[in-house]
Amino acid sequence: MKVVVVDDEQPARDRLKQLLDDEPEYQVVGEAANGQEAIKLAVDLQPDIVLLDIRMPGMDGIETAHHLNGLENAPAIVFTTAYDEYAIDAFDVRAIGYVLKPVRRSRLSAALQQASRLAPSVLATVAQAAKISAERKYICARSHGELKLIPVTDIICFRAEQKYVVVDHNGGQVLIDEPLKALAIEFDETFVRIHRSVLVAIDCILRLEKTADGKSRIVLRDTSQVDDKELIISRRHLAEVRRRLKGV
Amino acid sequence: MAATKSNNEPTQVYLPDFCSAGALLIIVLVAELIAIALTLASYGPDQSFLIELSKISFLILWIALLGTALMCQLRSFLETAGQTRAFVIAFIALELMCLVVAEGAWQLTRVYGESLIINDLHSVFILRTFAISSIVIALAMRYLYISSQWRRSIVLEAQARISALQALIRPHFLFNSMNTIASLTRTDPAQAEEAVEDLSDLLRANLSGSANQSSLKQELETAAIYQRIEKLRLGDRLAVRWDIDQLPMRARIPSLTIQPLLENAIYHGIELLPDGGEVLVTGKKSDEYLEISISNPVAVGEKRSTGGNQMAMSNIQQRFELAYGNKASVKINDAGDRFTVTLRFPLDEGHA
Repeated sequence: MKVVVVDDEQPARDRLKQLLDDEPEYQVVGEAANGQEAIKLAVDLQPDIVLLDIRMPGMDGIETAHHLNGLENAPAIVFTTAYDEYAIDAFDVRAIGYVLKPVRRSRLSAALQQASRLAPSVLATVAQAAKISAERKYICARSHGELKLIPVTDIICFRAEQKYVVVDHNGGQVLIDEPLKALAIEFDETFVRIHRSVLVAIDCILRLEKTADGKSRIVLRDTSQVDDKELIISRRHLAEVRRRLKGV
Repeated sequence: MAATKSNNEPTQVYLPDFCSAGALLIIVLVAELIAIALTLASYGPDQSFLIELSKISFLILWIALLGTALMCQLRSFLETAGQTRAFVIAFIALELMCLVVAEGAWQLTRVYGESLIINDLHSVFILRTFAISSIVIALAMRYLYISSQWRRSIVLEAQARISALQALIRPHFLFNSMNTIASLTRTDPAQAEEAVEDLSDLLRANLSGSANQSSLKQELETAAIYQRIEKLRLGDRLAVRWDIDQLPMRARIPSLTIQPLLENAIYHGIELLPDGGEVLVTGKKSDEYLEISISNPVAVGEKRSTGGNQMAMSNIQQRFELAYGNKASVKINDAGDRFTVTLRFPLDEGHA
């Protein structure tokens, strides 16, 4: 079984590697210091199990698990944590594998044996229970067979188009396979729905203007990425958009 | 320190210091108020208010002043007597004293023949004095009892908060450190040994925190030990710059203030930054004040000051208030990309 160890602290990674060295059925094939590295390694090395620290800078363990889940051969996940009483309660309830630091050998083997893949809904409830914001900091997309992590802060808008959602961001455009409705709920604080099929980042909106035919539309701060013609505000959402812009 | 003093005091004490001038002044004022109330209630149409007031005041002030003197003498005895006994003894003593004064007043007016001063039968006069004084003494005792209970509960609450803070090494830190040590025992036993020693020193400093004040030197040492342990875990991500040459090491400071602030800076700042950062500890000294600030870089988009942070902060704020009143301040500045806490407190180099 191939294992990837993810923790932002070197001694913590060392500890897991030491313990796994004594277990012949597991090989540590890679280690990562943060979530982004972990996802790259998971794509390259196709591990069976990822040992994942919860509290990490940048992308925390819960979000990393979320993205790992979206991979084609999603690895099983075992969380490691020093002290997160709420998370642990949630893990116990949902039978999610975890080990507590300082890591005990017997506990680690047991957790590895029962490691399993996690459904996104399970992760969402864990995040909620642990009072970790379930809002992702990155959107994970596949383009040309490669995995891309786009920081949510770089995203200008999400547009639903037939089967996919188009994500316009500062570095270009990607397609993701997630329902717009779920995105609208997840990023409710930073995005506003201007149309049945479009969410726009509030920070990217410069102002509203009237078109020649009396409709309202969004003018973006940076118009280079998205055509303003796409950003007509539907009558139904106009009041809400106005309200949200006033709040800024 | 009020907090440490109450440890040695027996719990049943509810007497203020009757021997002090302040207490005497208050008692005289209260006695006069009672005299006014009694006069207002009793003087008739053919009597002058002021003359009646002075007669009643004369009697009441004698009772009040002698009573105060009596309590002043009895205080040390009553403090050790136990609550109920102290109450009964004080009540009887005061009551006897009242009766003696009343009888004295009656005899005086009889000797000097001015029967109009006390316009009553002997027995009725004594009985009235007895009844009124009983009510007033009982009310006063009840008041003293309640106010002392209230004061005690405040002191106890403050103490509880302090000990709660002192026990407040984050479990997160403790378990992570243990994990680090477990890891080091294989790779670098010498460092593991040092880490165990450091962790023990830190725990000792946290447990023996009952002395409310320590020296700056001690405080900075505790913080440095804490930094060493965190450095093992965080490696190059953690840098701390100590700019404290101006600080007099002998100066007094409430114990366990700098280390928790450094812990906050690391937990809420450095640990959330993928590449880490530098914590800056700066100390300044002016004529009468010391100013120590601890600042850390903040990760973009992180929600600032979570629960634990605020708890440690308000605890430190309370302890500074307890120690220095309004002469000290704890200020937070989270403008821009750094979070800074500044402690400002009176310079006290102790008696050395």
